[in-house]
Amino acid sequence: MAEEFNTGDMLSVYLFENQQLIENLQNIVMDQKDADGFDEDSINEIFRTMHTIKGSSGIMMFDEITKVAHRLEDIFFYLRESHPDGVPHQDLVAHVLDVADFISGEMDKLSDGGEADGDGSAILSELDTFLSEIKGEKPGTKKKEEPRETEEGPKQFYIAPETGNGSSYFKIYLTYNPDIEMASMHAYKTVFALKKIAEEVLYSPEDILTNPESSDLIVKEGFKIILRTTSGEEDIRQIVQPGYDLVKVEVYECTAKEFQMGFDAEGSEIMIDLESSVEDIERRSEQRAQGAKEEKKIAPGDFVVATKEPGKGKNLAKDRPKKTDKAAFISVDISKMDQLMDLIGELVISQSVVLQNPDLKVPGLNLDNFNKAAGQMKKISTDLQNVIMSMRMVPLTNTFQKMNRIVFDMSRKLGKDVAFEMIGDTTEVDKNIIENISDPLMHLVRNSMDHGIESNEERMAAGKKEKAKVTLTAKTESGKVFIIVSDNGKGLDREQIMAKARQQGLLEPGRAESSYSDKEIYQFITLPGFSTNKKVTEFSGRGVGMDVVVSNIQKVGGSLEIDSEPGKGSTMVLKIPLTLAIIDGIVMETGNSSFVMETSAVREFVHVTGDMMIHEPDGAESVMIRGECYPVLRLGEFYHIDDHQEDVEEGMMVIVEVDNKAICLFVDHLVGKQEIVVKPIPDYIKKVKGLSGCTQLGDGSIALIIDAAGLID
Amino acid sequence: MGEFDTQKGKYVTFQSGNEFYGLKIQYVSEIIVYQEITEIPESPEYVKGLINLRGKIIPVVDVRLRFRQEPIPYTDRTCIIVIQVNDYVVGLIVEKIAEVVEIQDENILPSPSIGKNDNSTKNKFVSGIGKVGDEVKLLLDPERLLRDEDVALMEHLNEEDSLEEE
Repeated sequence: MAEEFNTGDMLSVYLFENQQLIENLQNIVMDQKDADGFDEDSINEIFRTMHTIKGSSGIMMFDEITKVAHRLEDIFFYLRESHPDGVPHQDLVAHVLDVADFISGEMDKLSDGGEADGDGSAILSELDTFLSEIKGEKPGTKKKEEPRETEEGPKQFYIAPETGNGSSYFKIYLTYNPDIEMASMHAYKTVFALKKIAEEVLYSPEDILTNPESSDLIVKEGFKIILRTTSGEEDIRQIVQPGYDLVKVEVYECTAKEFQMGFDAEGSEIMIDLESSVEDIERRSEQRAQGAKEEKKIAPGDFVVATKEPGKGKNLAKDRPKKTDKAAFISVDISKMDQLMDLIGELVISQSVVLQNPDLKVPGLNLDNFNKAAGQMKKISTDLQNVIMSMRMVPLTNTFQKMNRIVFDMSRKLGKDVAFEMIGDTTEVDKNIIENISDPLMHLVRNSMDHGIESNEERMAAGKKEKAKVTLTAKTESGKVFIIVSDNGKGLDREQIMAKARQQGLLEPGRAESSYSDKEIYQFITLPGFSTNKKVTEFSGRGVGMDVVVSNIQKVGGSLEIDSEPGKGSTMVLKIPLTLAIIDGIVMETGNSSFVMETSAVREFVHVTGDMMIHEPDGAESVMIRGECYPVLRLGEFYHIDDHQEDVEEGMMVIVEVDNKAICLFVDHLVGKQEIVVKPIPDYIKKVKGLSGCTQLGDGSIALIIDAAGLID
Repeated sequence: MGEFDTQKGKYVTFQSGNEFYGLKIQYVSEIIVYQEITEIPESPEYVKGLINLRGKIIPVVDVRLRFRQEPIPYTDRTCIIVIQVNDYVVGLIVEKIAEVVEIQDENILPSPSIGKNDNSTKNKFVSGIGKVGDEVKLLLDPERLLRDEDVALMEHLNEEDSLEEE
């Protein structure tokens, strides 16, 4: 049955929405973890979050997630309604985080194309115990599980009507809370649950799954179900229970004739009711609600569709917390943004064409007004450029919050009393980069917690008075983002690292150990398989990690610097570029063609003289520079470019280094260093060896980007 | 459908050598004047390189070279017809834009089959011959114009590969 629902689209929407909910949830929890308890807004927010997750997971048939979310929702429902005292806040925080972890774990599985097959029973029983505790009940009085969450649905939705074999007919009217989202989904869930006991189900509006507007209709006019079943009213009420989302449930028995007439029959009745006064309807609906609570049967034909209950609405509005300054988002196709960026780039270029137009150079022109207008235009186009750049940027806040979470978890598990400080978490970085640095950052924070920070006793013994602290700092400096993970722990142990390096044979033979600088030594820990930690813990110490951290950072063009002061703590500085779409490049020319090479791949530029060249008999060339021999690649010949420089003394040698392999690239001359926007070479052009893309230079001309790695291979 | 109707049977015609060629107007996104071209190394001769079309970088093909005619120097009249075929956006460098003409289906003859030798290279790209008054326009099939290119390019690359292997 699940396959009928789990279409890819629904799943991705489900994952996207719930991921955001979970992130939001974690942020709320982490914000208030040190308080004595959650404030009312947060309780409501968590409750709603769990409710939404429960609802959508139920629709998607992820039973374990539904159950877990439901149970946490129960707890927060209790907190919200009863305001109990003496709730152990730390435990509650841990429980919420456990649930968040469980759900995000399941969602990870789902987004990797797996199944949500995790077992939530451990968490469920913990939550049950916790709920009983805060309710002051004895543990063990577990709530009975709702059968609909586990039962397999029947394989058929509609069974052809048969003539009476003792089945009875019911009309059900459901009124939903106007505050819930996706009322249609809830309605469908109800229908789906009812199908288990029903022989035949009809419902109105019918297009709840396909028509997005049906949600509004359901909220406004209620949801109507007619069914034929052998079960009694009790069973139906068991399945359709009023709750937060379902404000009112009305069940009436009806005749077979009414059933066959379907919804047409009641149209007239609704009409009549609409004609009666509002008060009348309200009064009657209240009676009905009363009646429903008392499980009293109401004669058929006497029903009303309760459209709204003014009193109830007011209450809900009060319950709802003020919307805090939550940002509104829309998702935009990235290609549209690229297009916008292209156009703005072009606008800037054509602007300079206009403003520096030779026609303006005619002597004697009075350009005062023109210059004023031009200045204004420049300002606007600069703003425009900044805005589009900022659209790709996301603040590091969420990433940092995750680290907060890790520090919190680990400080409890390791028994270390650690404070966490975030500085500059609103610093914005390109979205792609955030995805790539999240894991390395997590690793660094774990390392700090595990190895950097001493245990409470050790700190006491060392006479450190200040509280152990891990600080995460982000700042932008000269076009790069610096993310700094620092702690005030024991720092790196130079001797220990040295000893390990010696043991693993990493030291250069014949070099005095004292000649290694601190930085050089600390770099050893970024080598694969290097760990000085004596024991492997849950969090770190297996010696896999720092090398992965470094390679991940390098992947986005970043670097890692390690600094440490024994006894005072260590500092890891991550330097990453602001964006991947813009690289720092060296522009050079050969013949009439411009090429760009990423600055990081260029080691140096050298003017060579003829006597430094080595010509091999097969035509291959090398050049000897300061005692080292580099193979020479003449770009002009390599790409058969006309009119390129032949004389090595007239041109320029660029030493390009990738992965410790270096070659000399011979070009005509250098143009300069420039930030360039990387664009792909159109598909129509087949892949050319050594070219990775193209870019537009300041004057609007096109330069080809040389992929150093591709060239060297 | 309205757009389709107004564009139906309309062709953008251009001159190349002594011949006039026609392209279905649906394929043509715009016509721009000749602009600076950045050469792409290791590409076939007729792929002249890349141009910057308002921030979008597109490849350009010289139609004369594509038809294996003698290249002529570019002048003020040289134009680039930007066409969009499937997912490709490609510029075609043509000597001279002529006009937009309407050619009804009944005035289009199938391109002559096994013809004389000098016609065979053109035939690859010509889907039909349109009559406008007493003039004749060779109607191009842009898909063939580009698709054949792929094959040609593949061959070109394969040649290169085999050269490298040697």
